This record gives sequence, structure tokens and C-alpha cells, in this order.
Amino acid sequence: MAQLTKRGLIAAVVCSDTFMKLGTAQAKVFGVPDLPLLKIQHPLGGLNMDKVIERAGVALPQLIKVVKEKQS
Amino acid sequence: MSSLAAMLQAPGAMVQCDEDPEAVYEFLCEKGWSDGLPVIPPTPERVERMLAYCDRDLDQAVVKIPPRFGAATPLRIAANAVMAGCKPEYFPLVLLALEALAEEQYNLYGTQATTHPCTPMLIFNGPIAKEVGLNSGNNVMGNYFRANAAIGRAVRLALVNIGAAIPGTGDMATAGTPAKFTFCVAENEDASPWEPLHVEMGLPREASAVTVIAAESPHNVNDHESTSPEGILTMCAGTIANTGSNNAYYDGQPVMAFGPEHAQTVASGGMKKAEVKQWLWEHATIPLSKFANESIERRFRRKLADKFANAPLDTPVHMWGKPEDLVIIVTGGAGKHSQWVPTFGNTRAATRALKRADGEFVKSIHELKRG
Repeated sequence: MAQLTKRGLIAAVVCSDTFMKLGTAQAKVFGVPDLPLLKIQHPLGGLNMDKVIERAGVALPQLIKVVKEKQS
Repeated sequence: MSSLAAMLQAPGAMVQCDEDPEAVYEFLCEKGWSDGLPVIPPTPERVERMLAYCDRDLDQAVVKIPPRFGAATPLRIAANAVMAGCKPEYFPLVLLALEALAEEQYNLYGTQATTHPCTPMLIFNGPIAKEVGLNSGNNVMGNYFRANAAIGRAVRLALVNIGAAIPGTGDMATAGTPAKFTFCVAENEDASPWEPLHVEMGLPREASAVTVIAAESPHNVNDHESTSPEGILTMCAGTIANTGSNNAYYDGQPVMAFGPEHAQTVASGGMKKAEVKQWLWEHATIPLSKFANESIERRFRRKLADKFANAPLDTPVHMWGKPEDLVIIVTGGAGKHSQWVPTFGNTRAATRALKRADGEFVKSIHELKRG
């Protein structure tokens, strides 16, 4: 995602709340401190499809917001 | 190359605190530069003594350690080696291990940040291991021996202090492992019926080398009864076969560390290492039906569909990918025990030989002393 961002594409990372500190630190390490992190509830692994859809429902509006902001 | 004195004058190169040992301990723990245990204060004088056994530029990174990708220069590594309790002559082995960890196939980034309880297992071979006092006998994976304890600890401290493998932010291990304090062994080459690991990896016997593996804690195999190769190996296979191992799902190179007595029994009928690997791969299996239904449907049927999409429930699941990927060593002292060491999975062992600047294998650690 860092490479895509550096090439001018709109990119974002889905990140569960438990991993937000790691995600934030890694964005800085890879030179894209403003890389959008789409925050969802932990965990993402081991979920049934209903829960996955629920997480997607939380992430999608954040993604749309990122895309609109980047395009404006 | 900068002089040590000049490097220590750089902003942030040094910090000051009370010289009382308890105060130093408190200070370093508060800073997060710690594994939780007391350390030797890395004063400039001690760091300089450590660097007496370094033939590299002191300010050139030998590896950038993820997840921070901090530059692991000899100077910084030496500070961690002092903290860990290393003698200066251990220092080339600490550097060597970190260089091996930097090799791409090891996947240091993944192993540092994963939720899985893995840590670098350092396996030393060759004459230098004996020269610096690395234990390969009784209690080889336990406490007491300074070289094993301090070299493994120095590597771990570097991974935390330089790489920022800090629990909860950079090291996301769910539970971790006690092996994260240190996991450093030498192969008991004198007691092995087979060629040593570094020779198997293509190096001459007189070379000294480290092999690094992203390992879990060792799991014991107790067998006081078997007198045949098949007996010992059957007990090993039973210990290896478990549903929770990463190696059942991913590539990776787990380790079978035979105790010398078990190794002698296994080799008594003439079995070579390759035959032992093949035997264990064939026999250390679990029928697909023993895994949870969700695991079968979501992992085996989908993610491992090339093998298991329509596989019957009695299909054997092998405990690692290919027979030859098993790493076999002989280590430890007297007794009827061996150790099974599962690994992270998305990782490969990396072996690196200890060489001088001119490319020759190091025959004595003192060849690397400056001046």
C-alpha cells in the first residue's frame, strides 16, 4: 500500500483496532504517515460470514470518505 | 569509517543515568530498552571492549531490523551485546546471527510482528562454537551456560531495542514464548552419527556457521523403551503430529533435535538423515477428520484446495511440506529425550558461515580481534 500511495494511487489499509498502533507505526516507517487506516473491530480472522459483512460495513464508508477526500 | 569517539558524540548516541545497578535497571525498563531482566550497563568503555572483536565499519548497518527497520550498526549491536552479558569474543557470533536473520527467506519482518509465538532459534556448528564455550551437552536448551544465554539474549535485545519488536505495538504475539529470552544451541557434533547441519548445508566441516530458524519452544519426546530406529521415530512422529501447528498449513522448516542417545538408536540400522526425514514425513500425519469442521471447510477445502478440495476425511495431513525441509540436528547430553521444534511456517532456515574480511573461513575467533 505504501508503494501504491507513493505512485499516486489512492490506497488504504483495513486494520483492526488492536493493530492500529502497529499500522500507524508502519505507515511512518514506510514513508507514508498519512496512509489511511480503515479501522474495524478486532478480530478479522476466524469470523463467520455475517461478522465479515459487518466489518465490511464499517470499513466501506471509511473507504468512500478517503476516496472522496483524495479526489477533491 | 567514523571513530568510536566521534560516533559517541553524535546527538542521541548516549544517555546518562545514575550508575547504581538498580537505577540503571529502572532507567532502561522505563525507556523500554529491555527484556525485563537486569542488564550490564552499556557504558562507552564496555562497548569499546566489545567492539575489539569487530572487523566491520562501526557505523555501517549490517541489517535493518523490522518493524522499525532500525539500522543495526556494530556500535548499536555492541551496546545490546554488553547489556546481554556477552564476552567480547561472542560478538562476531551475534553479528553473524543478525546477518543470517536478514536473509530474505527467513522473513524477519513477518516473524517479528506475527501473533505466532516464534523467535530465532540459533544453531551453531563448527569449531568456533566450542572455542567460545557454547554448550551442546546437558541442558542445551535450558539455563546456566553463559555463551548460549548471552548470545541468544543479545540477538533478542537487538530485535527489541533496534527493531522495535515491542509487545503490543511491534511484536503482536498473542502469548509469545519463554524462548524469546534466548534460544541458542550448538550441535553436539561429536555425539552425532550423521554429518553436522552446516555440512549438510554445503559448508566444509572446518567452517563455523549459524543456522537461524523462526522457532516455537521445544516440545519434548520421551522414549526410554525403544531399542529400534522405528521405535524412536514412532514416538517422535506421535509428538510431531498435532492439529495446532503452523507447519501443518504452511511451508517452513521445523526442527527435529535428537538427543545423542536417540540419534544413535535411530542410526543403528544405517538410516541416513534423508531417510529419517522421509520416514518422519510419511508417519507424522493426522487424518483430515481430526481437524475441526471449520478448519477443514475454511482452510483445507479452500486455502489448500489443490490438495484437499475433495479429499476424503481419512486423507493424511503431513506435518510439514516436503520431507527434505525437516531440519535434523543432534544436541544435548545423556538421556532418552529428543526435542521437536515447530516453526512459524512462512519462513525458511538461513545458514551463514563465519568468514574473515578476506573471505576465508574463520578458524579461531581471535582472528577477528582488532589490532
